Amino acid sequence: MSNATDTDVLLSPEFLAQLERLELVTRKIFRGRMKGERRSPRKGQSVEFADFRNYVPGDDLRFIDWNTYARLDRLFLKIFFEEEDLHFYALIDASPSMSFGSPSKLRYAQQLAAALGFVGLIRGDRVRVETLGQGHVRGTAFRGRNSIWRMQQELLTIEPNQASSLAQGVKNFCIRNPGKGIVVLISDLMDKEGYESALKYLLSRDMDIYVIQVLSAEELEPDVKGDLRLVDCEDADVAEITASGPLLKRYQKTLAAFVEGAREFCSRRGMNYLLAKNQVPVDQLITGYLRRRGLVR
Amino acid sequence: MSLINMLSAWQWLVLAAIPAVIVLLYFLKLKRLPLEVPSTYLWHKSIEDLHVNSIWQRLRKSILLLLQLLFVAMLALALLRPGWRGTQLTGNRFIFLVDNSASMSATDVEPTRLAEAKRRVADLIEQMASGDVAMIVSFSDSARNEVEFTDSRRQLLRGLEGIKPTNRRTSLGEALRLASGLANPGRAAFEFSDTQVAEPQPATVYIFSDGKFPSVEGFSLGNLEPKFVPIGSKDAPNVGITAFSTRRRDDRPEQLQAFARLENVGTQSVKAQVELYRDGTLADADEIVLEAGKSGGVVFELGDLHEGVLQLQTSSGGALPVDDRAWAVIDPPARAKMLLVTPGNDALELAFSTESAAELAEVDIVGPEFLDTPEYKARASDAYYALVVYDQCQPPELPQADTLFVGKLPPGDAWRWGDIVEAPQIIDVDTAHPLMQLIDLGDVKFAEGRVLTAPQGGTVLVDSHAGPLFAIAPRGAFEDAVLAADIIGSDEQGQRFANTDWPLRLSFPVFVMNALRYFGGASAAGAAANVQPGQSVTLRSATSSPTLEVRSPDGRRTSLSRETSDAFSFSGTDELGVYEIAEPNQPIRRFAVNLFDSGESDIASRDEVQIGYVEVEGEATWEGARRELWKALLLVALGVLCLEWYIYNRRVYL
Repeated sequence: MSNATDTDVLLSPEFLAQLERLELVTRKIFRGRMKGERRSPRKGQSVEFADFRNYVPGDDLRFIDWNTYARLDRLFLKIFFEEEDLHFYALIDASPSMSFGSPSKLRYAQQLAAALGFVGLIRGDRVRVETLGQGHVRGTAFRGRNSIWRMQQELLTIEPNQASSLAQGVKNFCIRNPGKGIVVLISDLMDKEGYESALKYLLSRDMDIYVIQVLSAEELEPDVKGDLRLVDCEDADVAEITASGPLLKRYQKTLAAFVEGAREFCSRRGMNYLLAKNQVPVDQLITGYLRRRGLVR
Repeated sequence: MSLINMLSAWQWLVLAAIPAVIVLLYFLKLKRLPLEVPSTYLWHKSIEDLHVNSIWQRLRKSILLLLQLLFVAMLALALLRPGWRGTQLTGNRFIFLVDNSASMSATDVEPTRLAEAKRRVADLIEQMASGDVAMIVSFSDSARNEVEFTDSRRQLLRGLEGIKPTNRRTSLGEALRLASGLANPGRAAFEFSDTQVAEPQPATVYIFSDGKFPSVEGFSLGNLEPKFVPIGSKDAPNVGITAFSTRRRDDRPEQLQAFARLENVGTQSVKAQVELYRDGTLADADEIVLEAGKSGGVVFELGDLHEGVLQLQTSSGGALPVDDRAWAVIDPPARAKMLLVTPGNDALELAFSTESAAELAEVDIVGPEFLDTPEYKARASDAYYALVVYDQCQPPELPQADTLFVGKLPPGDAWRWGDIVEAPQIIDVDTAHPLMQLIDLGDVKFAEGRVLTAPQGGTVLVDSHAGPLFAIAPRGAFEDAVLAADIIGSDEQGQRFANTDWPLRLSFPVFVMNALRYFGGASAAGAAANVQPGQSVTLRSATSSPTLEVRSPDGRRTSLSRETSDAFSFSGTDELGVYEIAEPNQPIRRFAVNLFDSGESDIASRDEVQIGYVEVEGEATWEGARRELWKALLLVALGVLCLEWYIYNRRVYL
């Protein structure tokens, strides 16, 4: 379903139907740019009454409850809930390493982004899909149910050839998007320079950050035999290995340490970390893990 | 541990190149299969971790190399055909002497010693290189050439298969002489002759035996190189019957007793059950405790018994079954008829009428006038008598019987004698002749005698200083013995005098008994006597029938035809048991063939044998076939190969 090989359809209709019931959640207080479907913690103008407060000079006279004034001879101001929109950023790592796996990690990332973006669009949030390698050009922002198709098309144009370091990509993203909101970084985090600086850039913006590390089965359970010359698809770096039990064990250990390191790094800094295996269908991931993690509800 | 090289030098060189090539290949830059991965990031980290303990790492890396080298080493070792305990065949001519005597039937080696010996010989034959020749000789008391020298293994194995166990005794001498005849040709021929009949052929003699044979005396091995392979264990338990006979009681002659002697050759004392069967039914049983290495006797009272077959059986017989049974035949007395013709000779008459003589023969004593009666003539021409003794008288013609002439010459001119010699001094007695066994004439004096000239084929039994005094010579189917001195002489006046003091000596009755046994005993005593297996038996017939039938214990019938004498010779006595002699119109006679040989019953195998002056040590731990290792080595090599493949494929480290 979700990992269908059809390149034109990222998400199946059934899954979309499932997603319609969800909405994106943020734990932080953001100022939306436009009125949205999201009730803001701040008070503002909407049809939903929230509270009264004493009038202080300078308040907008339009909000004075004249009925109360007539009864009590005191001025009260009616306060309404403010409804605003949410900025949702799907930041996709489109480095060549993301093209591995079946389905490829990139496609997995696209599906993930599409699903989350869909949830956002349904709820009237502002959804922006960006990649790490796109430099200073801002990606298109989508809003509203009508934009679903366009968002999908945008996602599908992402090709796994944008070689840029994770840190640089994140930095560029932060420069491009000064706003607040939810940012979901979908990457394999496999950067020789380390993912830490990249995540720190994200942290510098006061955003609700989700880091979804997508790893393919080839990385989790490498099926290698004999004497091999492993070539890094990004920088053509070479590692000569002789596949052996201990080496594989060591690899698993290293991998586990790597994943655990990322998880700890994120949780210490208030980021949400999630390891996604490309063998786990996207719908499961969204309706299962992410729901539990609180990204969607 | 020994090696057999299977390759020539250049082949070894090629083989030696293989490990060198493997090492070379190993040092070459490994051609690694390129594989694109998302990131080498984690791999680098993993490899760095592993590089920390690099000595182990290096060892682990080269484990495949080591395994490959081990594989080649295994192959090379297998090609060397390592083995152990196998005596290598030395030389290229082999003579396998296989003992098939009675003791080789012992079952202390599974299944029998002979089968074990045959197995080992077969192993050796399998080991023969091409061009090697071998012959197989089986030996018991006589040797039998089973296969002539040949290089055909098939023939050798077939001949080997044909060796059957016998119940005979063991004697190595004949087998060795047979072997020696081939290895040392013309030894008795001219030393310096330059026309050599045949090249001497050195050969290795493998003797497969338990060593239970007397040392071979006076035999020189010459070109033969002996190797003795003892078969059987040294402490095999065995109880054997070494004697079984019947006898009438001295005090009550009608009562028959059976005596058996059992020998325990084992190392532990044995309580042996002995059962006596009479004509197939159990008649008596006894129990005897035999100490280790000791023998003991059992006596059975049989009562008044005149005819029958006795079989003795012990149930605790140990490893050798053939000596656990013995047979004895009780035949109705069938005594030979004898005639003593004498004008009067107390000494002879007394000696011929003793009780012992009566047991052996029925002796008629008559005067010379009996020679003229028609009764004598009829009997003399009909071989009625077994022996006729003519004392101081001469028949008109020789009878159809053995004769003993005392003081007279037989009629005819075959025998001649010279003038009277006064007081001939006896200087030599042929005690090897059965007639003169156990006879010492050193104290016997004769007053006068004559020098005897025996006809052709005669044997001088007593020699005096002047010449032969007593001789025996064959006459057709019979034999004539002539004593050229009187016992009772008579002078011209007819006065009788004692010519000798022989009748006063102990040797005289012994001589008479010898004569009775020799001339007349064959039919009576001979049949009842025990016969060793393989021994040929002379059977005398009381009739003039030209054939005689012998029934073996297994029911086989052998028809014998009369030979030149009145005796039939039967040699098929290989089987133990009771043989029956059937003659037309005659009661069936029997004789028993028993092992009765403590040498064969003593089955403990010997460590060494003496051949001539050479003591041949047995190679006790000797195994005919090499215990070859190459199969195991190849299996191990295969295992190494599999392990290598597994490690390569499955990334297993030790």
